[in-house]
Amino acid sequence: MNVNRLIALGLPAVLTASLATAQAIPDHPEKLAFAPLTYTPPVARDQRVVLKNGMTAFLAEDRALPLVNISVIIRAGAWLEPAGKEGLARLTGQQMRAGGTKSLTAEQFDERADFLAAQIGSSIGETSATASLNCLSDNLDDALKILIEMLREPRFQEDRLKLAKDQLLQDMKKRNDESADIESRELSVLLYGDDHVSNKFSTEASIKPLTREDLLAFHDLYYYPANMTLAVSGAFTKAEMIQKLDAAFAAWPSPKRVVSAIPAGIKTAAPGFYRMNKDVNQGRVSVVMPSALRTSPDIYALEVMNEILGGSGFTSRITKTVRSNEGLAYSAGSGIGFGTYYPGRFRAAYQSKSSTVAYALQLVFDEIQKMRETKVTDEELVTIKNNIVQTFPSSFESKAQQTSIFAGDEYSKRDPLYWSTYRDRIQAVTAAEVQRVAKEYLVPEKMIVLVVGNQAEIARGDGKHEITIDKLANGKVTDLALRDPLTMKRK
Amino acid sequence: MILNPRRLAVGLSLIALSSLARAAEKPRIEVEEWTQANGMKWLLYERHDAPTVAVGWVAHVGSANERPGMTGISHFFEHMMFKGTRTIGTKDIDLDLKLIDEQEKVRAEMRTEMSVMRARLRRGEIASMDEPAAKTPKYVELEKKFDALVLQQRDNIVKDQMDQIYTKNGGEFLNATTNQDWTLYFMRLPKNKLELWTWLESDRLLNPIFREFYSERDVVFEERRLRTESTPLGKFDEEFESMFWEAHPYSWPVVGWPSDIPMYTLQQAKDYFATYYAPNNLTGVLVGDFKTLEAKALIERYFGRLPRGPMAPEVVTLEPKALGEKRFYAEAETSPTVRVWWQGVPFVHKDSAALDLMTDILSGRTGRLTKSLVLDKKIANRAGASINPQKYGGYVSAEITVKDGQDPAAAEAALYEVIEKLKSEAVPDQELQKVKNQSKANQYRRLSNATFIMFQLLQNEGTGDWRRINTQAEEMDAVSAADIQRMAKQYLTKETRAVGIFTRKKADSESAAKEDPEIAALPEQAQPMVKQAVARMKAETDAGKMRTQIEQMRAQALSVPPPMKPVFDLILKKAEERLAQLEKEGKK
Repeated sequence: MNVNRLIALGLPAVLTASLATAQAIPDHPEKLAFAPLTYTPPVARDQRVVLKNGMTAFLAEDRALPLVNISVIIRAGAWLEPAGKEGLARLTGQQMRAGGTKSLTAEQFDERADFLAAQIGSSIGETSATASLNCLSDNLDDALKILIEMLREPRFQEDRLKLAKDQLLQDMKKRNDESADIESRELSVLLYGDDHVSNKFSTEASIKPLTREDLLAFHDLYYYPANMTLAVSGAFTKAEMIQKLDAAFAAWPSPKRVVSAIPAGIKTAAPGFYRMNKDVNQGRVSVVMPSALRTSPDIYALEVMNEILGGSGFTSRITKTVRSNEGLAYSAGSGIGFGTYYPGRFRAAYQSKSSTVAYALQLVFDEIQKMRETKVTDEELVTIKNNIVQTFPSSFESKAQQTSIFAGDEYSKRDPLYWSTYRDRIQAVTAAEVQRVAKEYLVPEKMIVLVVGNQAEIARGDGKHEITIDKLANGKVTDLALRDPLTMKRK
Repeated sequence: MILNPRRLAVGLSLIALSSLARAAEKPRIEVEEWTQANGMKWLLYERHDAPTVAVGWVAHVGSANERPGMTGISHFFEHMMFKGTRTIGTKDIDLDLKLIDEQEKVRAEMRTEMSVMRARLRRGEIASMDEPAAKTPKYVELEKKFDALVLQQRDNIVKDQMDQIYTKNGGEFLNATTNQDWTLYFMRLPKNKLELWTWLESDRLLNPIFREFYSERDVVFEERRLRTESTPLGKFDEEFESMFWEAHPYSWPVVGWPSDIPMYTLQQAKDYFATYYAPNNLTGVLVGDFKTLEAKALIERYFGRLPRGPMAPEVVTLEPKALGEKRFYAEAETSPTVRVWWQGVPFVHKDSAALDLMTDILSGRTGRLTKSLVLDKKIANRAGASINPQKYGGYVSAEITVKDGQDPAAAEAALYEVIEKLKSEAVPDQELQKVKNQSKANQYRRLSNATFIMFQLLQNEGTGDWRRINTQAEEMDAVSAADIQRMAKQYLTKETRAVGIFTRKKADSESAAKEDPEIAALPEQAQPMVKQAVARMKAETDAGKMRTQIEQMRAQALSVPPPMKPVFDLILKKAEERLAQLEKEGKK
């Protein structure tokens, strides 16, 4: 610390002490008054740039640190995998990074990236693919060069593909190890169906025959500039960065091709109770149903409803009842998501020792019922609306977050007014609307309940309360067998 | 100490990329350290990139400060700090205190009954304290009385009011976390709500009320089930760690042993608070969009109210140097794994940076373990190493996921081969520079987010010295190839290592019938014999014949060779169980 700063800090300490005694402390925090705070979110068009080759990029300068972030969204994903080749998309994305490039072997590429201290990534997910670079701004030219090589001319080295298959097959064997993994996988199948893009599980039969040629062909079909969107932030000047990007992509032509759309359909299983046995001393329970598409006008009321029911930690009803009052779970609550391509899901969930699984489920059902039958209180409504509105700036905290939100919006064609109208639409939600969406969406007859755990112990109950899973289900429970982890067929 | 930035560039190693030198100008943050008259220390770092402030404080206490019988109380206590104060969380504080008092009286009687139950457990009359049959009639009666008092109190409680007030005011991720060395409390707020934070946090440090104490013990037990007991490796990790630390309190789990969690008392919590939560044992951290002068005034007004307390007792136990290798073999629902931990150093130790860099040489895509075990020998699918430097001690660890069909012993041997090379040959300049370049870039990455900076300040401070957020990069840059070699020789020795070999246990679903745990406990080659015997017994429906068989077995008991004794004993036991069942059915 330099001398000037020391002196500067030394003086006001006296002032500080006198201030401390001058002002009284109110006896309750609700008596505190706060300065108003206004916030205007960044706007996509201020960051949007169209490169010479027609690619869209979102650029934001941020000179706090000598780092540059580049992320690329590519229109590719598991929905494009040919039947019987489940896992191809994932392997292609991963092997672009791991398998070298035309000019560099995998070993050379890795050494180069590591010596440059550049973090380079590539992955293909369900409904989009990404590639990314984070490097020191001084190394940008060298790092950008190998990022582009990776995107354009991956080598897909055979030995790396063999290793990746070994890793994947070994990881697949772990599919039934964690009760949480079993739960999340089966929930997705119950909610969206076996054929859905979320549930294209790789199997031994789909992975083993995949060849380097399969990866090359998949890559060739989808990796070209016209199929990419960029998000770039960090220590650079905008004009210079645009030049660099123009140059980097210049020699890479785009074919005239249209990538097929992500299928919108879902096949939800019959509502009711489903059970899976796993010998652990804590049962995992989820109550799920499809929610809505993000284009639905109901999403604002649904979000507020969910926050009050179980989405806002200790402030929400399920957490208070199941955890705080009864001590039945460490984690208990609900979440809601809205789909871009297909309906999102509502899920209430908790984990409780086997004996109290049924009693806790009764409490969750009661809370859902209350949401439907009675209006939420003004206090609850104000608390949640304030929270959503006041935490809104966090989404845009960093320039990297901003560019990546805007690039994602461009990719998924989100309503351009979404962010600018969001807070007003949340503020406009009324208690009557919350009740309406609760009634419309949280329909008990449509719920799917999945219980994973030691079913013999869970069935016994806690000996204190009358309720059992069988009673809650009116005796109608479907037992699902675990799947063989390598074939994904039920045993 | 804050270094002159210009000297950093000079300090860079000779073959650093010239371009890296310029980037190294500011791998640090200007944090103001300030201590109040009551001893509470503050770390303040202004940063005006978003209209929020990341706020937190660390209590310099964790499970290392505990003792057997109350393991996990630090973590449990962290939960109690969310239960309110004299003002927050209740409609009528006097009624609240009266009901808590009555609950305590009932609980004292319940504890007496639990002593009776524990005595029965020691005599083998009950199998566990948890089974319903274990409860004495008096205990059951007291439990009802207690539950009634809880219900009575619930009407007077304003549920989770602190969380609610923060939520209403735009607070985010209000939470806390405990480890062996520290307990952190943190959140993020809109910048205009800083006074709210000083109000509520100083209030819970000044006037905490530990209400809903007993239901929260259940919550913590569910947390233990969630993280430790119902995960494939949770209990194994716990036991491995416990084996590694002989003397030091790091040997028990942060969440506590299952026997201890149900025994915490309110008085213990009060004593704990008085011992460890005085302001002179706390450090507060603010990172974000605030003005230092204004923040100090607020802090002084609110936290200045806290009276200085006694010095918290120090953790004095030192881990003795290990004299021999320890080994741990386990079957678990996981991929085959080799885990090696060597005794290491505390966070603030002068060798900490060199050890860190040494594990960087071993790890990552171009790390030596990947190159040798994964790419070259092809016996592992993944391999890496890291250090875990804590306040009072630490370890260096390596973890290998062995390829299916490969021998874990071969993977372990290959690991030691890599380690031996570190000892016998200096790391080439290029390779050393690579990990230094990475550590420097990571140093910047660590500073890219206000909330993350707050966490690092809290953790570094809790683990020994917050300044390492600024000095780590330079410490690492000063490490030479000779240092790395010395680290390997000094620390990665056979005597000081603990080795875990995990092989995949067949899941329930994979075995034909559900495994009988008593049979599964026998050596694998002995199991079929017992299974066949049990199958024969099940087919036997004549109690008389069963009885004869048992008598014949007993007659042979003395002539059973010692290695076969466990098998023989179990078959006899199963036969007796079958007989008892047949006799019971006969009576119906």
